[in-house]
Amino acid sequence: MHRLLALWNKEWLALARDVHGLAVLFVMPAAFIVIMSLALSDVYKDETGRQTDFSVLAAEGPTLAERVAQRLEGDGFRAVPAPADEAAARAGVRQGKPGLVLLVPRDFERGLREPPDRTNPSQALTLLVDPALPPAQLAVFQHRVLGTVLGLRVSAAIRIPGMLDNAGAFDLKRVATLSVEAVGNPRAGRPSSVQQNVPAWLIFGMFFVVMPISSLFIVERREGTLARLASQQVPNSLLLLGKVVPFFVINLGQALLMLLAGHTLVPWLGGEVLALPARWDLLAAVTASTSLAAISWGLLVAACARTMEQATVIGGVGNILAAAIGGIMVPRFVMAETMQAWVDVSPMAWALDGFHAVILRQGAAADVLAPCLKLLLLAAVLFAITLWVHHRQRTGPTA
Amino acid sequence: MGMLNIEGLSFHYPGSTETVLDGVTLVIPDDGIFGLLGPNGAGKTTLISILAGQLRGATGSIAVSSEPLESVRRRQPHCLGLVPQECAFYPMLTCLENLRFFGGVQGLHGVRLRQRVESVAAFARIEGTLKRRAGQLSGGLKRRLNLAIGLLTEPDILLLDEPTVGVDPQSRAFLLDSIRSLAGRGRIILYTSHYMEEVQSICNRVAIIDRGKVLVSGRLDEVLLDGSGSLTLRLRAPLPEALAADWRTRYALREEGVARYILRVQSETAAQVIEAARAAGCEPLAIDYGRRDLEQLFMQLTNRSLRD
Repeated sequence: MHRLLALWNKEWLALARDVHGLAVLFVMPAAFIVIMSLALSDVYKDETGRQTDFSVLAAEGPTLAERVAQRLEGDGFRAVPAPADEAAARAGVRQGKPGLVLLVPRDFERGLREPPDRTNPSQALTLLVDPALPPAQLAVFQHRVLGTVLGLRVSAAIRIPGMLDNAGAFDLKRVATLSVEAVGNPRAGRPSSVQQNVPAWLIFGMFFVVMPISSLFIVERREGTLARLASQQVPNSLLLLGKVVPFFVINLGQALLMLLAGHTLVPWLGGEVLALPARWDLLAAVTASTSLAAISWGLLVAACARTMEQATVIGGVGNILAAAIGGIMVPRFVMAETMQAWVDVSPMAWALDGFHAVILRQGAAADVLAPCLKLLLLAAVLFAITLWVHHRQRTGPTA
Repeated sequence: MGMLNIEGLSFHYPGSTETVLDGVTLVIPDDGIFGLLGPNGAGKTTLISILAGQLRGATGSIAVSSEPLESVRRRQPHCLGLVPQECAFYPMLTCLENLRFFGGVQGLHGVRLRQRVESVAAFARIEGTLKRRAGQLSGGLKRRLNLAIGLLTEPDILLLDEPTVGVDPQSRAFLLDSIRSLAGRGRIILYTSHYMEEVQSICNRVAIIDRGKVLVSGRLDEVLLDGSGSLTLRLRAPLPEALAADWRTRYALREEGVARYILRVQSETAAQVIEAARAAGCEPLAIDYGRRDLEQLFMQLTNRSLRD
């Protein structure tokens, strides 16, 4: 028993002196409880508090558009002013603002009063959809649109003699057609779950270069190789740049592998296929910006951490929290609105915006400019801080 | 290369009031090996780190002949080689990969790099282990690789910080022979160690520092000279207690280990003392008069109190 007590005592003492290990055990779950509870609060509510913006653009003018919008509004869908024209509507949806635009064709009202005919172009509605919108929400909105059309048809039919006697006049399939067009999505349909998940987990994986970067740095510091390199007049900037390129290549490899997995492995296993982007140059720009930000973050953690435990806490746990906040673990659209305001604090959210613009929305250069600039600026700032930390350490105490 | 002149070098770490080096002045010629001794925390490694350019912010001057060391290093970036206390290389790389890396990072490439790698590997006798991971080597081989890396650029100034620590006697003897062979040829070599016999066997000049101050510095034979008439005797058997008590009073006898004694006697009395010991059945095995060994000097100057 005494021996067991001695072992327990030793374990407690070791644990008590491992503040970083304890921090992982206590702070991380606490942080996750807070973040996830806030992020998913709407999912567990009886009625959704989440609002999805939509607008209606009617060829016949704003009066009809407003009428349709009024009927569609409610239950988590909020009408916003209609865009000027279809081009503006597409540009807006491409950025997710708003997430839905219903295009109502010319002579739509007249068509409501005519006998049902599926080929009547005046009854062919188009719904422009942000591919990042959750499929369940899209399905709900589609039903609301068809319900609204049916309601308008009934209102119109009441005033036409004999129409109410025609049972076929209220067959939803014959009254109107609704085609869904995911703006920017080459599949011209709903985004697949793989299109949501590949960018998210790719970013998460890319930011995890922090672990190999810092572990090697810690070995170098512990073994005295960093000090030796300093004595050999290897500048700090060169030392850091020497690490950037290999990890940059690793990040690019990760990106290729993940896209390939989404495009081939996931469908092979029975999942949906990842539609590849049309603009590979923009994908390269987003990947490179994300990689540089991730590597710079890794270098800063490596410069500050003295032990693997510290690197794990600052780098690993930091990444997990950034992923939780940044819409990687819980997609932004699932989060409560209050939590969504915090998403953009995380650099992973900037990267996700960039990847979504390229992969989901097939965006143009202007769509990825802001996320790329933010990531590159972050990379530059982190790199500068790392250089300063290294410079300071040169005049600090040695081991 | 000329002499390495360190003058009035002082240093303290930022935020600390403790002076690690306090006006250190040393002259290290290029005609042999200069031994730097001191207890733990004396400032040896700090001094080496400053010389190697790892630490900045020291006051005082460091010059080679009359040219500041910094300027010499700007002119000849790889004129200084450091063999640090730690085995400072990558354990996950092979010996060859380590040598190539450290050569390459110092600007060696192509045929020159290959020649230097072969040369230092032969010098350190690690040719047979070049393809082995450095982390899997024995302590002695690690030390030899550590030395080989420090010699890649054929430095004119070589700083060796306890290069034999933790190795077996055979490896130590090999390393000491190798280091001894590097002396001369206009090379400045600064050697720190805790092993007094090592320093005594390979260095022609020594300095002892403690608490950041130089306590003694000069040629080894001069430093070890003892003008106080000290007689060191190592006897076959311990002195009889009565005789030892008598000599304690008359010759300030003190025991240094088993059957090893140090006495203060005039030169004309020394022969009588030796004869008296022999008569008491304590045959002298070793006799030293007027000369201390390095350990005696070290302990005398730095006192016996623990430093860690």
